[in-house]
This record gives sequence, C-alpha cells and structure tokens, in this order.
Amino acid sequence: MALLRAFCVRAAAFFLVWWVLTEGDSSGLGAGAVIVLIVAWFSCTLYPPSSHALRPVGMLVFTGYFILRSVIAGLDVVRRLLSPSLPLNPGYLRVKTSLPEGGPRWLLANTLSLMPGTLSVRLQGTSLELHCLDLDLPIDQDVRAAERKVAGVFGLGEAGTEESAS
Amino acid sequence: MTEPVILVAQVVLMVVGCLFFGVGTLGLFRFSDTLCRIHALTKIDNLGLGFIVLALLPLAPSVTAGLKVVLIWVVALAASATSAHLVARAVRSGQRADIEKGSRDG
Amino acid sequence: MTLMLNVVAVFLLGNLLVALVRIWRGPHAADRMLASQLFGTTGVALLLVLAQAQGMPSLRDVALILALLSVLAVVAFVTRVVGIDRSTEKTRSDPARPESERP
Repeated sequence: MALLRAFCVRAAAFFLVWWVLTEGDSSGLGAGAVIVLIVAWFSCTLYPPSSHALRPVGMLVFTGYFILRSVIAGLDVVRRLLSPSLPLNPGYLRVKTSLPEGGPRWLLANTLSLMPGTLSVRLQGTSLELHCLDLDLPIDQDVRAAERKVAGVFGLGEAGTEESAS
Repeated sequence: MTEPVILVAQVVLMVVGCLFFGVGTLGLFRFSDTLCRIHALTKIDNLGLGFIVLALLPLAPSVTAGLKVVLIWVVALAASATSAHLVARAVRSGQRADIEKGSRDG
Repeated sequence: MTLMLNVVAVFLLGNLLVALVRIWRGPHAADRMLASQLFGTTGVALLLVLAQAQGMPSLRDVALILALLSVLAVVAFVTRVVGIDRSTEKTRSDPARPESERP
C-alpha cells in the first residue's frame, strides 16, 4: 500500500515538473504521461519508499528559513568584501551531525554551503568538515538550527530519530 | 499590463541583482585564497541570480513559464552548492596531500 | 524594458569576461574550475535575461542544461584531474595492505 501511495505521489510530482518544463504545452502532455509513469516506476524500484518521506509543512518552514539565511549570507560576504580591512578569520571546523545517512545529510551539507560563513568541505560518516570565513561567528549554533530545519523536512525528531506519528 | 509600480520594482531588482554579480566577481580578485573565493562566488552569485529571477517573473508570458524560471533557479542553486562542495573538497584533499608530502620529505 | 534587459545582459557578459581573467591567472587548477561554477550562475542569469529580451523561450532550456552540465564538469574535474581523496587515501592504505590480499 505504501508502495502504491509513493508511486502516485511521485508520478504526480514528476508530471508537475513535466508540465512546467514544457511550459504548459498541451501537445506534449500525452507523451509526458507515459514517460512520467515509467520514471515513477523506475524511481520506486531504485529508491523504494523509505522512512525519509518529505513533509510539506517542514519543506515550507525550511524554504522560508533558507531564503532568509541565504540573503543574510550574501550580505555578510558583501560586507566583508567591501570593507577595506577585509575582516576575515578563516579556518576549518569539524561538526558532528545526528542526521541519518543519505538525503538528509547531503541536504544539510549543501544547505550549509549557502549559509552565512560556512562551506562544507568533506562529509565522512557523521562528521562534517566546514570551512568558515570567520571562526568568531556562532557556527555551531547555526549548524544546529539548520539541522533542525532539515530534520523537519524529512519528518525526523529532535535527536534524528524517527517520529512515530503518521 | 505592466503597471508603473511593478516596472520600478523590476528595474530595482535587476540593478540589485547586477550589483551582487559585480561584487561577486570582485570577490574573485580581492580574496587571496581559493576557499574564500568559493564562499564569495557561491553565496553572492546565488543571491544575484535570485534577484534577476524575481525581476523576470512579472514578464513571464504564462504561469508555467514563470514556474520554469523558478525551477531553473532551484536547479542552479543545487548545482552551485554541489560544485562549491566538490571544489572545496578537492582543494582540501590537495592541501592534505601537500602536508603529507612535506612531512615525508622533511 | 527590452533596452533594460539588454543592458543587464551586456553587464552580465562583461562580468563573465572579467571573471575569466581570474581563471586565466589561476594559479591553482581549483581556481580555474570556479569558471564552471560561474557559468552555472552568471551564465544561467544571462541566458534567462536573453530569453526574455530576444523573445526566445528555448534559451530557458539552454539555461537549465547549462546549470546541470556545470555540475558534471566539476565532477569530472575532481575525479579525473585532482583525484579527490584518492591521492591521499590510496597512498596511505595500499602499502599497509598485506601482499596476499591484493588481487
């Protein structure tokens, strides 16, 4: 049953992407429907519906947080660049993440690359190496906040464990 | 169709987007080390692209065309973040190789 | 509006050209690979603006493909040219492995 549900959800999502890519051209919808079904079937065989289902509410919260933080990140770098003294204190920092392997961890690493002052350099198991523009920033606190938002997208609990609800 | 308010907003957004791109390119020259350059390029250019996309949205001929532009923005964001990570990782492993070579030679 | 779009397009193109100076000067291979990232963002913005200014919707498809290909270029670079992680980890682990375990 879970497989059927995942299949339908994915097919709908792929069809939406197809519709957008063809800019709503009605002549391509027939071919799109066939391709979407094949791709959805492939995706269900290759990536069987796992516990990391995407949560719409979590995704909305994440998007808002992401846009806000990336604007801050851009302005932060611009400020550093344009001030004559180039206030930088670059260095490496290692943080541990409690997120499960796969999608959640990669989303965190990629998100941190676009967050203020951090750039993910290497992801090994649960340890993530970051390059920081300024080590005086509260990096660890920011990482925890980003981690919570990513956990929300995948419906994971506070400690990175599966929530029992739904 | 294009009201003056929207037109002014578009021009402002485009100018801001261009300024971000300009500063991002400046970052390539002002920062002395590769990783800091990646920081500048990734964060500032993505913001610049965001502003340009916002400015273009009211001009889109249809809803789907607008959605497509947003989709391209999301893909470009993911692409840029992934590239930044990979280049940074290459730089870092190069540094490590240098350190190891140095300690073996010395 | 078309004039404005054209001015923006020219500015972005100039931006790309200035950035190419950095690519040309290097000094590291990684600095040069930033060109791919640059085309992934500035190039995409340029194509989106041109698609609107010239009334060519197909340029949006080009922008999408450019964004995707820029990642592939970087992936090819880090695995082939730099040999990500491999150069350090192989030299460290290979001599440690006993002779009998090697194929």
